[in-house]
Amino acid sequence: MSLIVTRTKMNKYLKILEISLQQEFTYKLNFIMWRIRNIMQVLVFFFLWSSVFQNSNVNYFGYSKEKIIAYAFLLIFVRAIIMSSRSVDVAGIISNGELSNLLLKPINFFKYWITRDISSKFLNIIFSFVEITVLFLILKPEIFVQTNFVNIVLFVASLLIASLIFFSIAMLTSFVPFWIPEISWGAQFLVIVIFVEFLSGAFFPLDVFPTFIQNILKFTPFPYLVFVPIQTYLGNESIQLSLLSLTVGAMWALILLFITKKIWQKGLKVYEAIGR
Amino acid sequence: MKQLVDKFKKYLRVYVKMTTNSFVIWLTRRSAFTIFLIGKIVRYSFYFGFLIFLVKNTNGFAGFSGNQILFFTATYVLIDTLAQFLFRSVYSFRQLVVSGDLDLVLVKPVSPLFRSLFGGADPVDLITLPAIIGVVIYIGSLLSPTILHTTFYILLVINGLVISAAFHIAVLSLGIITTEIDHTVMIYRDLVSIGRFPIDIYKEPFKSLLTFIVPVGVMVTIPAKALIGLVSPLGIISSLIFGLALLFFSIKFWHYALKKYTSASS
Amino acid sequence: MKKVIVVDHLVKDFEVLEKESGLKGSLNSLIHPKKRTVTAVRDLSFTIQEGELVGFIGPNGAGKTTTLKTLSGLLYPTSGFVSVMDFNPWEKSSDFLKQISLLMGQKNQLWWDLPAMESFELNKEIYEISNKEFKKNLEELVNLLNVSTLLQTQVRKLSLGQRMKMELIAALIYKPKVLFLDEPTIGLDLTAQQSLRDFIYQYNKKHNATIILTSHNMKDLVDLTRRVIVINDGQLIFDGALEELTIKFAEDKLIKAKLSSEIDVKHLEEIGMVKKFEYPELIISVPRNTVAIAASELLQNYPVSDLTIEELPIEDVIRTVFNSRNVFNSNED
Repeated sequence: MSLIVTRTKMNKYLKILEISLQQEFTYKLNFIMWRIRNIMQVLVFFFLWSSVFQNSNVNYFGYSKEKIIAYAFLLIFVRAIIMSSRSVDVAGIISNGELSNLLLKPINFFKYWITRDISSKFLNIIFSFVEITVLFLILKPEIFVQTNFVNIVLFVASLLIASLIFFSIAMLTSFVPFWIPEISWGAQFLVIVIFVEFLSGAFFPLDVFPTFIQNILKFTPFPYLVFVPIQTYLGNESIQLSLLSLTVGAMWALILLFITKKIWQKGLKVYEAIGR
Repeated sequence: MKQLVDKFKKYLRVYVKMTTNSFVIWLTRRSAFTIFLIGKIVRYSFYFGFLIFLVKNTNGFAGFSGNQILFFTATYVLIDTLAQFLFRSVYSFRQLVVSGDLDLVLVKPVSPLFRSLFGGADPVDLITLPAIIGVVIYIGSLLSPTILHTTFYILLVINGLVISAAFHIAVLSLGIITTEIDHTVMIYRDLVSIGRFPIDIYKEPFKSLLTFIVPVGVMVTIPAKALIGLVSPLGIISSLIFGLALLFFSIKFWHYALKKYTSASS
Repeated sequence: MKKVIVVDHLVKDFEVLEKESGLKGSLNSLIHPKKRTVTAVRDLSFTIQEGELVGFIGPNGAGKTTTLKTLSGLLYPTSGFVSVMDFNPWEKSSDFLKQISLLMGQKNQLWWDLPAMESFELNKEIYEISNKEFKKNLEELVNLLNVSTLLQTQVRKLSLGQRMKMELIAALIYKPKVLFLDEPTIGLDLTAQQSLRDFIYQYNKKHNATIILTSHNMKDLVDLTRRVIVINDGQLIFDGALEELTIKFAEDKLIKAKLSSEIDVKHLEEIGMVKKFEYPELIISVPRNTVAIAASELLQNYPVSDLTIEELPIEDVIRTVFNSRNVFNSNED
């Protein structure tokens, strides 16, 4: 009996997954544009650093040329996993009141959005592999490849943690319209487009910052989104240090998810009180 | 002649009214205003902060000194912000098409292109612009340019705005042809942001792409190079012709899109 | 009288892309997009004189909006000829646009975040009206619609009815001579509908404006228009006075009677179809040509204290018209 119940519950989310994928196909141009935007960011990164490392065997900021190129290519993949997300739409549906439709349905709000995120990430990962291959063939760069299995396992774990951190950041910023509806996705813009982009290591390796800024950043959740996973892959730090970073990241994920749940409950009360 | 002057006066009055309207709207949304202002300031600070740390450690790259690299970025920020200030209404154009309210714009005795392109300047940029111009002048003065080169620079920045206008018109036209794309204008922004570094850092085939297909080079890199004194008068003239040609074709594209819209939707 | 609007053998086709459902379907239409030509208006002809107020009726998707859009220059006719005040609408000359107004119940031109007054002032510049004229027109419209207290309220904070009135002011502030009103009363409550109707009536009378009005609301048409044009599936099926529409399409008439004592309804079926019987009230529907016989039979054989003969309600007539063609569809436009 309980098995059947779980099955039908699973079916529900499988269907959401399917519809979500379909939606991406319907807005295929949007999706392609989103991929192009991602690739352009990475290309700028690639060419900038290629140009910095031009005819010199010097190491800048602790990177060799091969490693900084690997950073660029990893960015495509890591961005596809971490930053492609549908839960950023939540801000919009809260401010325009469409949230009510969702609340009326017998589905769990968080599971719903996680399902939709998974569908989005799935598509983006597939595309990122194709793009990496194509760019590799066009640019023919010398690149660093990690062969240590431990680093790769830790890398995968750090990606999972990073996805959870991103999810809760997207949710938390989406909840701002509960209290300030007219702001819509403004808060999200500020946090995700500006702070996450610059402070996560997606725009440039955080090693460029002076040491004291780097140390401050370690106490924020941002580096654990992109910089730490890539560092873990590249093996720039000892396994012990990587494990430490992983633990701190995991703690951030837990704290943020907990806060997200609390704020959601509070926000829902405000939302219902206004009766939108 | 008098007719032309009257027409100009009318459009000026319409522009002033639309701009006041958009300023008043921002005043009613103070929280959003603050957020966008902070966002812009933080973003530009990061751009420059990163670059300053980078060029300090590497002493410039791609054959340019640190200050020259900073000047390329400053020029990019200047043109990008001016364009956002002028063409802000492009960002809300899709809504107009999707809701069908565009119909009511089309039946008005004022050019719909004018309405859609200049329909309200952005006051956020009015605050950031003076600071940006200050930064451009400061970094520019460190490069000690001649008066001639400075003149070239100003001329080419205006040309950059013409190219930007052409881009925005193309974005509007695309928005009419397909409503499937949410943020065509963001793609334009991304493309232009490629120009925050001199396009000399990009390798083929991307470099040609950025010069001829997506002329970010002519829009951003060439003005900065002209100030440094790296562009010949011929290069300047051909840049200007190029800008005007783009504007011409984008307007053609707009008319094509409009025709398609009015004969397709029901 | 001057012919203001001429529509002659107008045809308008659209190409639509067909979307298939399901993941497989959307992949399919990605590779093989299917195009289909839909004819929205086929061979439509009519003329309208200056100062006429004409109702334009038809089920959803009949081509009403398409016709109005063609008349205001938004759509280019596939074939046929249209002219409005001797202008070719498609050319969209300033002189033409300054004299027409298109108002659509579901679309808006007002700036959402600002008081309506700001949008009016923008229109003042766009339509190049002098300060004096602007003030005069505004005062007149505001008084007619009774909205003087709402001018400084943010449009988003207005009720639908209030907003529609403001839309009307924005559409009429430059005194257009020809008005295309597409569903102006849609979604409004009864009071708001009534005041909008009164206003349209007065505007038409006062300025001798030519008005085409589409509506699903029969009350709009009965109250406002003498002449109606009925189209269905893009074709004209009736053009004439509202009363004639009833005579032409209603095969039955209604006999309403008051009875003085209870009777058996069964026998009444021989006279006509009993629509309603709640003692003492009785309504029977009988064929138009036998109505006199039926009435006298009723008077002779039953305890009738009062009797009237009436036409079918216009809603019923129109429903019959569209139903008979089997295309009535209420959830698509």
